[in-house]
Amino acid sequence: MAERSQTPSWRPRMPGTRGGSKRNRTCRYITVLILLGIGALLFFILNICIGSVRITLAEFVGQEGNETITKILWDIRLPRAAAVLILGGALSLAGYLLQTFFNNPIAGPFVLGISSGAKMAVALVMVFLMGRGVGVSSFAMILAAFLGAMLSMGFVLLASRKINNMSMLVVSGVMIGYICSAVTELVVTFAEDADIVNLHNWSRGSFSGMTWENVEVMAVVVSITAFAVFLMSKPLAAYQLGVVYARNVGVNIRLLRACIVIFSSILSACIVAYAGPISFVGIAAPHLVKKLLNTVEPIWMIPACFLGGSVFCLFCDLLAKTMLAPTELSISTVTAIFGAPVVLWIMIKRRKESHV
Amino acid sequence: MSKGRNMKEYYFSTNKMCVGYDNKPLIREVEITLPKGEILSLIGPNGAGKSTVLKSIAGQLQLIGGAVYFGDDRLGEMKTSELAKKMSVVFTQKVTAEMKNCRDVVATGRYPYTGWFGVLSGEDERIVDEVMELTHTAEIRHQEFDKISDGQKQRVMLARAICQEPELVILDEPTSFLDIRYKLDFLSILQELRDKKGLTVIMSLHELELAKLVSDKILCLKGEFVERYGTPEEIFESDFIERLFDLKEGGFLKNEKLSGYIRQISSQP
Repeated sequence: MAERSQTPSWRPRMPGTRGGSKRNRTCRYITVLILLGIGALLFFILNICIGSVRITLAEFVGQEGNETITKILWDIRLPRAAAVLILGGALSLAGYLLQTFFNNPIAGPFVLGISSGAKMAVALVMVFLMGRGVGVSSFAMILAAFLGAMLSMGFVLLASRKINNMSMLVVSGVMIGYICSAVTELVVTFAEDADIVNLHNWSRGSFSGMTWENVEVMAVVVSITAFAVFLMSKPLAAYQLGVVYARNVGVNIRLLRACIVIFSSILSACIVAYAGPISFVGIAAPHLVKKLLNTVEPIWMIPACFLGGSVFCLFCDLLAKTMLAPTELSISTVTAIFGAPVVLWIMIKRRKESHV
Repeated sequence: MSKGRNMKEYYFSTNKMCVGYDNKPLIREVEITLPKGEILSLIGPNGAGKSTVLKSIAGQLQLIGGAVYFGDDRLGEMKTSELAKKMSVVFTQKVTAEMKNCRDVVATGRYPYTGWFGVLSGEDERIVDEVMELTHTAEIRHQEFDKISDGQKQRVMLARAICQEPELVILDEPTSFLDIRYKLDFLSILQELRDKKGLTVIMSLHELELAKLVSDKILCLKGEFVERYGTPEEIFESDFIERLFDLKEGGFLKNEKLSGYIRQISSQP
C-alpha cells in the first residue's frame, strides 16, 4: 500500500505505532502458522521416538520386523502423541474462547474451575457405574464431563454478573475449582476399587493409557468443534471491541455468547474426560501465540492457538515422560512450570500498563 | 402500528417511548419526529437521561414502553444485519482494542458489508481510507489504538461509525474529550455528511452554544418527561435554558457574571 501524503515517509516510526502493509502482516501470520505446524510435527515425532524404549528414526519409518517395537509404537506411543496433539490444541482454544468471552487474559478452563467441574462429574459417573460393573464408553465420559463443565460455567457466569473485576472473577473460579476438586477427592478416596486405581492418576492429569478408540472419538468431537469455532471468527472479532459495538454492527450477542459457552465447555470436557484437568496451557499457549502473531484477529488466532497448544502440550508431555523416567510426572506439574510464569508475566505487565 | 400518525413522513420517530433500566421507567412518553437529513441534539442537566434515551433508540437497551420507528419499520422487528447498515453509534464508555492500530479499529465499521469471514474487499479498504481522510484521522492511522489520547479515540470511533455508511448516526457526548478546534471540525463533518449524503444525526451535547449552532431540532430532557422539543429558536427563547438547568438568579450559581453566561447564549442571534 502506498503511503498517503499525510504521512511523510521520512517520519521515524514512533514506539506506539503498528505499521506494516497488509501483505507484510499476512506474511507474518502465515509464517507463524507454518512454524507452529513444523513445531507440532517435530515434537510429535520426538514424542514417538523418545521414551523408556528408544526408537530410532529408521526404525520408526521402515522397521516392521521387530514386533515389540511395532507394538509399542502402534498401541502406546502413536495414540498417546495423537491425543496430546488433539487435546493440547483443544485446551488452548478453550482458553482463547474464555479469554475473549470475559475480556480477561488470565481466564481459562482451569482457573475458572470449569475443568474441575468436569472432573467431578466424570469421577462421579465412573465410580457410580464401575461400582456396578458397567463399562463407561468414551462418549459417555465426554457427556458427563460436558455437563460438569456447564455446571461450573453456570456458576462462573452467575459470579461474573456480580463481579466486574478481572482478578475477582478468577478468584471465584478458583474457589469453584477447589470445591469440585474436594468432592472428587472424596469420591476417589472412598472408592478404593481395583478398577478405580486409574482414576487417581487421571484426576491429577495424565496423557497415559490412550487407546485408538479414545483418539477416534476425541478427533471427531474436537475437530468439529474447532471448525465451528473457526466459523465464528467474524463475530468474535467484532466482540473484541465490546458488546455495544458488536451489537451495533449486527452481531447477535446472545447467540454468540451461548456458542462460546457451549463450544468452550465441549472442548474442556474432551480434555478432562481423557486426560484429566491440565493447568495453565489454556492461558499460556494463547498468550504466547498472540505475541508471536502480533494480532488478536480470530481468523488467525484460532488456527494458531490450536497448533500452539499442541506444540506446548507435546513439549510438556515429552518432559513428563522423560525427566524422571521410568517414573512419569503428572502433566500438570510440567505445564505449571512453563505456564505459570507466563501468567505472572501477563499480570505484571497489565499492572504496569494500568499505572502509566 | 395502526396509530393515526403517518410514520412515513419521518425518517425516524418514536411513539410514546418509555425508557429506563431494569423495568423502572426513567423518562416517559418521549415523542421524537425527525425527517431525513436533520441533526437532533439532546440537551439537559447531568443525569437527565440523555444517554438512556440514546441507548434505547440504538437498541442497546430494552424499551420499557412505546416504540421506535425507522420509517415504517419498527425497531426490534428489523433484522439486525439490516439495522447495522442503517444505524451506527458512538458511545461514551472506554473502548480497548488490543493489538490494533487506528485504521484496524475504523475498519471494524465495515462488518455489515463483508462476507462470512469478514475479509475486507478493495472497495472496503478504499472507504476506510476515504473516511479517515474526511475525519482527519489519517495521520494517526498507524498508531496503536490503546495508546492514543481520549480525544483521538473519540475521533477514531466517529470514523468507525461513518465507515459503517449509516443513514442515522447516534452519538453520546461525542465532543467531550475534544479541544475546541476538533469540536468545530467534528460538527462541520456532521454537517457536511448531512448536506451531501442526507445523514441523520441524533446526539447528546453539553455545549449549548454548539447545540444551538449545529442542530435542526433540540430535545430538552429534565425530570420524568421531555421538557421541550423544537427548533433551536424555540428552545433558546427567553429564559427557558436558565430554567432547564436551574440557573435562575439566586439559584444554583451565586456569581452574577457566571449566571449571565447562559443568558448570553440564549440571546445571541
